[in-house]
Amino acid sequence: MRSRFLPEAVLFLLLAIVLAAATNALAGSQRKLKWVGSYDLPAERLAAAGVAATPSGAAPASAASGTSAASKSFPPHPDKAWLEISGDDAAGLHAAGSTVFLDARRTNVYEQGHIAGARPFSVWESDVDDKVKALFQEGRDQSQPVVVYCSGGDCEDSHTLAQKLYFVGFDNVLVYKDGFPDWQKRNLPIHSGATP
Amino acid sequence: MRGRLLSSWLTVRLQFVLAAFFVVAGIAKVADPPGFAHEIHNFQLVPGVAVNAMALVLPWLEIVVGSALFFGIATRSAARILAVLLLVFIVALSINLARRRPVDCGCFGTSTVVKTTEQRLADMKLAIARDVGLLLLAAQSLAAERERLRRR
Repeated sequence: MRSRFLPEAVLFLLLAIVLAAATNALAGSQRKLKWVGSYDLPAERLAAAGVAATPSGAAPASAASGTSAASKSFPPHPDKAWLEISGDDAAGLHAAGSTVFLDARRTNVYEQGHIAGARPFSVWESDVDDKVKALFQEGRDQSQPVVVYCSGGDCEDSHTLAQKLYFVGFDNVLVYKDGFPDWQKRNLPIHSGATP
Repeated sequence: MRGRLLSSWLTVRLQFVLAAFFVVAGIAKVADPPGFAHEIHNFQLVPGVAVNAMALVLPWLEIVVGSALFFGIATRSAARILAVLLLVFIVALSINLARRRPVDCGCFGTSTVVKTTEQRLADMKLAIARDVGLLLLAAQSLAAERERLRRR
């Protein structure tokens, strides 16, 4: 009787894999997953590549240091995957108008409200790598700032997205670490719906 | 006492409860695989390359095995698998609790409620207690099956 466990367990597992493959194949883009993800925390990979991510809290000085956020410059940082910026910095870059903002939260959350002009780039959805590639292929200057954000607090999705951008060649990725909740508190421009 | 605890009347009912729990939990997770992948990743215990595959297959494994237990198919193997899954969940939650790293267990899909760190740590303790309770149900099922086979 004991010997039946292994074949039955394998049968259950195979059935689960078949059902998972079938439902994933039929799922829409917001619910589909690639079978192999690329979410590894990058510290090891960045270290192996001879670079290091900026530790939390090591963000550049905020606009409160005396320089206005709008006029503050954000030079490229090819040795770091990202730098963290404050809400003042993010607001200044947004007001300047030329900076790309990317929202790393789930698309259904993005649609409920996002920074005006920000594009949906959920790191948990299957098309994120295609979106990163498409952004790269737009031919924009990769040394110009790109701001990524998620839900603030302990949300790490913006950092994961920053790594993806860094690995395709963007060397001025800025993580707005306090994210959308901070933006809302500041009463800055918000847009709802599926479009930026 | 032992006879009552291992009676087929009680065993069938406890198996229904255990099975229903896993089927419902599995369906909730199947509804949003990216959300569940996010929860698995937050545990910081699974290699990044395995997160998606686990998020896709684990909910269906819960549904398939839970359904088998519910309909009385391969009940001994089903109860064993559910016991192993519960042990894995308990260990994963306990490790993160020891790290004081608040994670949503993801047991019934993705939570959208914003909670404080202390509230989330308290939720983790409740989830561990619940899983220990379910593990007792699985143990009862396995013990009853063993008793039934012994009497044959």
